Formats: sequence, C-alpha cells, structure tokens
Amino acid sequence: MAFLDAPKPPTGAPVTSDLSIDETLLLHSIGWVPVDLVNGVSVYAVPAGVWVWSQGEIAWATEAHQRAVAAAVARLRRECEHVGGSGVVGVEVTIEVHPHHVDVEVVGTAVRPAVSTDAGRAKHRGPLPEVFVSDLSARDFVLLHASGWAPLGLAFGTSFVNVPRRSASTALQQRTQNVELANFTNALYSAREAAMARMQETALHVGASGVVAVHVSEGPLAFAHHVVQFSAWGTAVTLVADQHQRISPELVLSLDDRVVTFDARSLRRR
Amino acid sequence: MTLQPPDTPGPGRADDADVPPEAAARLATRSSASALSIPDLAACLEAGLEPVGLVQGFCAMQWAFYGAGSPYLQGASLSSSLPHGAYVEQWSCPHGFVSAEHRMWGQNYEQPWVEAAWAQGFGSAFQRMLEEAADAGAHGVIGVVDTSAHVADLSIVEFHLLGTAVVVRDAPLPAGGQPWSTYLAGMRLTKLLEAGMMPVSVVASMVSVRVWASCVTEFLSEGQAYGWGGSGSAGTAEIEQVSRARAAARSLARQRIRDQLGADELHGARSGLDWRELGQGDEIVECTLRGTRVRRFKEVDPLPAPRPTVQLG
Repeated sequence: MAFLDAPKPPTGAPVTSDLSIDETLLLHSIGWVPVDLVNGVSVYAVPAGVWVWSQGEIAWATEAHQRAVAAAVARLRRECEHVGGSGVVGVEVTIEVHPHHVDVEVVGTAVRPAVSTDAGRAKHRGPLPEVFVSDLSARDFVLLHASGWAPLGLAFGTSFVNVPRRSASTALQQRTQNVELANFTNALYSAREAAMARMQETALHVGASGVVAVHVSEGPLAFAHHVVQFSAWGTAVTLVADQHQRISPELVLSLDDRVVTFDARSLRRR
Repeated sequence: MTLQPPDTPGPGRADDADVPPEAAARLATRSSASALSIPDLAACLEAGLEPVGLVQGFCAMQWAFYGAGSPYLQGASLSSSLPHGAYVEQWSCPHGFVSAEHRMWGQNYEQPWVEAAWAQGFGSAFQRMLEEAADAGAHGVIGVVDTSAHVADLSIVEFHLLGTAVVVRDAPLPAGGQPWSTYLAGMRLTKLLEAGMMPVSVVASMVSVRVWASCVTEFLSEGQAYGWGGSGSAGTAEIEQVSRARAAARSLARQRIRDQLGADELHGARSGLDWRELGQGDEIVECTLRGTRVRRFKEVDPLPAPRPTVQLG
C-alpha cells in the first residue's frame, strides 16, 4: 500500500496537529509551525518460553522491546521527513508488553521552522539538526530552543531481568521477618543499569551531549512476577548555540492563593 | 468580532434529525443553560459569545460487525466487495502445503460497513445537536463533548454529543442556518480567535481494519518463532502484518480527516487506537481521530518571544 510506505500529503495539504492553542502560539513565537500528525507503530514477537524462571537478563524479550521501539521511532521519523517536518514534538509513547509480543506506538506532531518569514529565519539559533524525534512538549521545546539547545532524538533503554530464586534456607528464615529481599533489589539494580546504559548509548550514537526529561518505569510484570522490567527514555539534546543562553527567568509571586496552609493560632498554648 | 458560518458541514448528517417538540419548547424558554465553567463563561462573554442553551444529540445504533452491508452476509469475496480505494493487503504462506489446518494466506482489510455505521451514529447525533442549536437561534456550539459507549451488554452503541449553544453579539445568523461548532471553549477558544483562527466545525473519523492472520503472523503471535517465523533462526521478529494494520488504521483516519478539511486546518487533534485480539493472531483494529476544523482569517502574527517566569505562589 503506497500510503503506508510514502505518506506524503499532496502539496498544500491541510495542517493537522494535536497541539493545544498555547503550544501553537509558542511555536509561532520562535518562528516554528506545526505541519502534520505523524505516527510510528511496531509489534515485535517474543518467543515462547522466555518467561520461564531462570537467571539473569532475558535477552530475547529485551531485544524484542528495543527493536520494537527503534522500528516505531524510525517510522515516525520517516513520516516526519515525508511531510516536510524538521522534527516531532509532544510524542506520546505507548508500550504494552504481552507474553508473546511487545506493542509500541509513538504519535506526535511534525513541526518545522516557518523559514518563509524573516522572523522565522532570524529567530532560529544555529544550524538546523537532522529530523529529530522528541517527547518534549511544545513548551519545553521552545524553552530548550531559547537556551540554545536542540533535540536530536529519542533515547531509549530497557531491560528484563529474572529475580534469582532464594535458597530454601533463606526463604524459610525470611518467611516470618520483614527484611530486605536482596535478590529482588539486586535484580532491580541490574535491570536499571542495563536500561540506563542502553539509553545513554542511543544518545551518544546520535551525537548528543545529554538526555533531558527522562522518564523511568520499573516493576514486576503482571504475567511473570519473577521478572522485573526497567525502562528509561528521554530526549537526547545537544548545544547548537555557541554557548548556553541564560534565560534569566523573572520571579512571579501569585497573590490569588486562597488556601490557608498555616494558621498562627495553632501555635497558641491551650 | 464577526464569525462567518462554515461553508461545508462536519461529519455526516441525519435526514430525519428533527428537534423533538419537548426540546423545542424547552429551548424556547431561553433559560441559558451551559456546561461552561465560570472562567470559561467569563472568557466567552468577553469575546462576545453569549450562551443560549445546553444542546445535545443522541443516536443509538445496532452494532454488529457482521451486520448489514458486510460481505460476510452476501457470500461475496472480500476483495471484490470492498469499495475502490479501501485498504486491503495480502500475505502468502512461505511454507508450502503443510496440513489442512495450516493458514495458506492472510489478509488485512478495511471494514467500510463498520466505519459507515460509526459515521452514521456520530453524524446523526452531531446533526441533532446542531439542529437544537439552530432552533435556539445560535450562531455556534462550543465546548463540544462526544462519547460513544456500548449500552449494557447489548449490541447497541450510543453516541452522545453535548455542547453549549452561543450567539455572537451584533452578528447576522449563519447563512443556511448551520451553526459552527468546536471542541474548544472559554479561554482556549478566545486565544484561538485572538490568534487569527475561527472554528468551522467539529470533524471526526473512524477506521476499522480486520487482521486475518497468515501462518507466520499466527505463529509469531503465539511465540512460536522457531522454524516458522519469517526471520529463520532469530528468536524475535516483527509481526509485520499486525504492525501494518495498525499503521494503516492511523494513516487512513488522518487521510479521512484531511478529506473533510478543504483548505482549513485541524486543531487540537485527539486520536485513539484500540485493538481486540480475536485469537491466533486475528484482531480488529479501530482508530478514531477527532478535532476542530479551523480557518485562518488573518495572517500569522507571532507573539513576542515568551518571557520565562518562576512561580513563587
């Protein structure tokens, strides 16, 4: 189906956007405009038997997860290129892990500088990076832009790790005590380190100097309680201005707070 | 501020969508019920929009995936019965003959009869809401909220649209009597107008795609990649048929919305992708996309660069 492989809209196609009016106006203020809704989808198979209680990282589940995210993000970027966008903001990442497949969906709005206007040219700082994908809101993107930084891509890492079995004697000893379950804690640490390392590797791969707005999620799987998953994702960024631009925010003291949170009378002795 | 009426309608219309007498009598009382919050009401009044009534539209639809219009009941082949331009994709078995139970082919296909039922239900409820607004003498409907839900455990889906009908002070009624409509209200609507865009109509689309799994899709969906999957010895592989069905649903929904926009823009889009696994790789994928069609009435006039602040409250 041609429209799946080349979703390029006809010339002069109408703009579609899931940005709020505030976000649209903020983009206009730095000379950028929304272009089109874009999405990427990927469903990867997880082989049967990988969730059997074993030791260490579950390589195939981790690989399926990583590849599904990479494929979905690559499709999102490709759609952005086809509609003439310079990048994608406000990406909503939806990931579902099932026993036999990992489903990944990323949806956002392609944006580009309105270079046809003098304001757009004047307000753009530094060279335009290649098409980027970020899960920054338009507001965060504008703030990042004003600081002289630019997003490069979505950095992502995940890991599935088996929680090691305790020995019979340890299990018996701990049964009646409230103590730390070191096997669980160690599994979480192991998953975290692997996932964070992968996330940072993907950021370095695109030449980023850091990752901002990192989200993490962790915990046991609903269908395999002996497996913990740790995922981390954020937006890889780099400095495009000569140096970091200080934005010097103004302090604002709101005077419309009607909530009484401190009552001096409560200090009186009875 | 003068809002011009839209020149094209939003979602589908109902031919028999007359306002019930009870509703007409209630609306004639001119008691201005509104679903707006106090700040939103203040913002609308400031922009010259006066609420005249809470208007609603309902439509309950019989809902069966193999119902009227479905080729299942006609004994026709799917490929020949689908309308021109509908999405359909084929997958062939790479294994040759294995057994009578082995799936020799797979297919993704759009279900236009499901989409038509959804469009009829949504469009009828939408049109009934607009008729109530027109009966109340409104220029437009703001703050539209739409829901669709299965009624109890029956094969019935109820579509419900609700909004606040408003009049524009000192403005003529829309030509043709068709009020404009928008999901926005209050402050957001005021900002939209200040930004040089006016609402034209609520627009929505729904796409339904059926996945009839091929053997490879079936095996991969059950975790049986060894020996059967398309990637040979690899432990994991993309379930391409399912990925493409979901991508197709999203792309088609976007295309259907574009078809309703003319030269206008879609603002504040909200989309949802639902899928139901029917077993052995078979599934139904449904994508809905909705938003407000807006028309620019003045050139982009960018705000000054935003001033960062830190709230101490």
